[in-house]
Amino acid sequence: MSVPAGAEVRVEGVAKRFSGVDALRDVSLRVDAGEAVAITGRSGSGKSTLLALIGGLEQPDSGRVLIDGRAIWRQAGVARARRELVGFVFQRHLLLEALSARANVEVPLIGASERRAQRRRRALELLEEVGLSDRAEHLPSELSGGERQRVAVARALANQPRLLLADEPTGALDSYTSERVLDLLFGLRDQHGTTMIVVSYDAAVGARADRTVTLLDGALAATDTPSAVGG
Amino acid sequence: MLSIIATNLLRRPTRTIFTAAGIAVGIATIVALLSFTQGLRETAAGLAHLGGSGLGVFQSNVSDPTASILPESLVAQLARQPYVARATPLVLLVEGVKREPSAVTFGADPRGFFAQSLVIVAGTRPASPETEALVGDRLAAQLHLAPGEALAVSGHTYRVAGLYHSGILFEDSGAVLSLAQTRLLAARPGEETNVVVDLAPRAHARAAATAIERDFPGTQVISDPQQALRAGANGTLISKAILVIVAMALIVGAIGVANTMAMSILERQSELGLLSTVGWSSRRVATLVMGEGIAVSVLGAIAGLLFGVIGADLLVRALGVSAYVSPAVTAWGLGRGLLVGVAIGVLGGAYPAWRVTHMQPLKVLAGT
Repeated sequence: MSVPAGAEVRVEGVAKRFSGVDALRDVSLRVDAGEAVAITGRSGSGKSTLLALIGGLEQPDSGRVLIDGRAIWRQAGVARARRELVGFVFQRHLLLEALSARANVEVPLIGASERRAQRRRRALELLEEVGLSDRAEHLPSELSGGERQRVAVARALANQPRLLLADEPTGALDSYTSERVLDLLFGLRDQHGTTMIVVSYDAAVGARADRTVTLLDGALAATDTPSAVGG
Repeated sequence: MLSIIATNLLRRPTRTIFTAAGIAVGIATIVALLSFTQGLRETAAGLAHLGGSGLGVFQSNVSDPTASILPESLVAQLARQPYVARATPLVLLVEGVKREPSAVTFGADPRGFFAQSLVIVAGTRPASPETEALVGDRLAAQLHLAPGEALAVSGHTYRVAGLYHSGILFEDSGAVLSLAQTRLLAARPGEETNVVVDLAPRAHARAAATAIERDFPGTQVISDPQQALRAGANGTLISKAILVIVAMALIVGAIGVANTMAMSILERQSELGLLSTVGWSSRRVATLVMGEGIAVSVLGAIAGLLFGVIGADLLVRALGVSAYVSPAVTAWGLGRGLLVGVAIGVLGGAYPAWRVTHMQPLKVLAGT
């Protein structure tokens, strides 16, 4: 399986309000192609909102998000942009409970140009890549927490994204399983050059990322490299 | 997409079954009534061509053709018209046979073409019209009657001289007495229910009907089944009742589907939000929801078609009209039932599908 190289992300002065409360205030950020950036901050600091704006799940009230120089949020094309450019991994694995692991990985490919046999082959390749080829036909309820999250990672990679967005991907896992999932995510980044933005409280994520961005009350507070964080 | 729709319906089988069952009841009612109406139409065809006649003359503006009253003198007047070959009077007596209330007793002139056209399949024609009757083969089968046995009509007992077959359900499910006896039983001296007319060669039924209604005010002519249905208020009422029931089935079914689908999308907000995050367009997610609504409705409709076919038979039995209405299930009747089912799915799925397009993926994924 070959995944295209990562996308460059530019966030330019974005702001977002929910119910009269500023979730983000004039945030600007640049993430280079292939870079892995960790976003940290206290609860309610705007981390997930920033990730949603970058991934086109929410539209900024002001400012813009550019991926490879193109605005992601264009009403008519945002779903297509998500399908073609972005892969999401969430804290809750959010697998479709009625579908097998393989069928879950296939979901993003439904409606794309691939035929069913191609979708199936791609899903099986991805499950093999995340070490779950022997669990392909199992339902999510038959998998452990770590296995489910690995299925979610495989699903996020199904459309060969150039930008992988992960929101607390290890938040619901024990430390051993967290390490394995992070190994997987960063290993894939190293292997394919995918740009990766990870929202996490987990210090281990910051330590592995190229850069850590800290948000405070909806604004950018600091940017650090791992050596600066550690030292 | 189809496999996801099927999976989603199967994951909550009880809900799917109950929703489909509700739709099935509505569709079954529609199909049963349509079959009943079609049967009524075929019976009406018999009413229009009693005794193999070209047309029947009835009193106009009656609630039902069998309630018609015409003067005895009309027969001779009609017989003189150039477009009429033969005319013979009939007196129709309903509910005269207590053992089979839906059977109609025909009072007919034994020498008229109505009585003469009956094919005797057992026994003989009555030798004594005042004391003997002919019984249709269908009624005879229902009452287990044979020639020589007795038939009670409106409190009088007649000997069954013979059994006849005409090929017209309405006639074969009844009995034939003499005109005089039937007038006596119906207390209608000098009157008849209708006059059946055999048209002259080259006479056109529609032109003859127009001429009769013009020349004999107060009469209406029934020359085809549609006219027979329209002639009576009952047929019109049934047609209108079906329309009302179809509309009610649509509304109730659509509300049921909408409720089920709305509950379903509330429970599955995260799932549907997730589909947005992986690049499904709003239209595609809405199509999924709509597809589930249509699928459950079609399931219900198919079950409804089956129940409807069975229910049509039960309906005519329950109404006590099995002797002269045989439910007729047609492809078009079934097709209409299926169409209503699909329409229920589309209407019921529309609102939940619209709601899905207005979901905010982030809020949904956050579980808020």
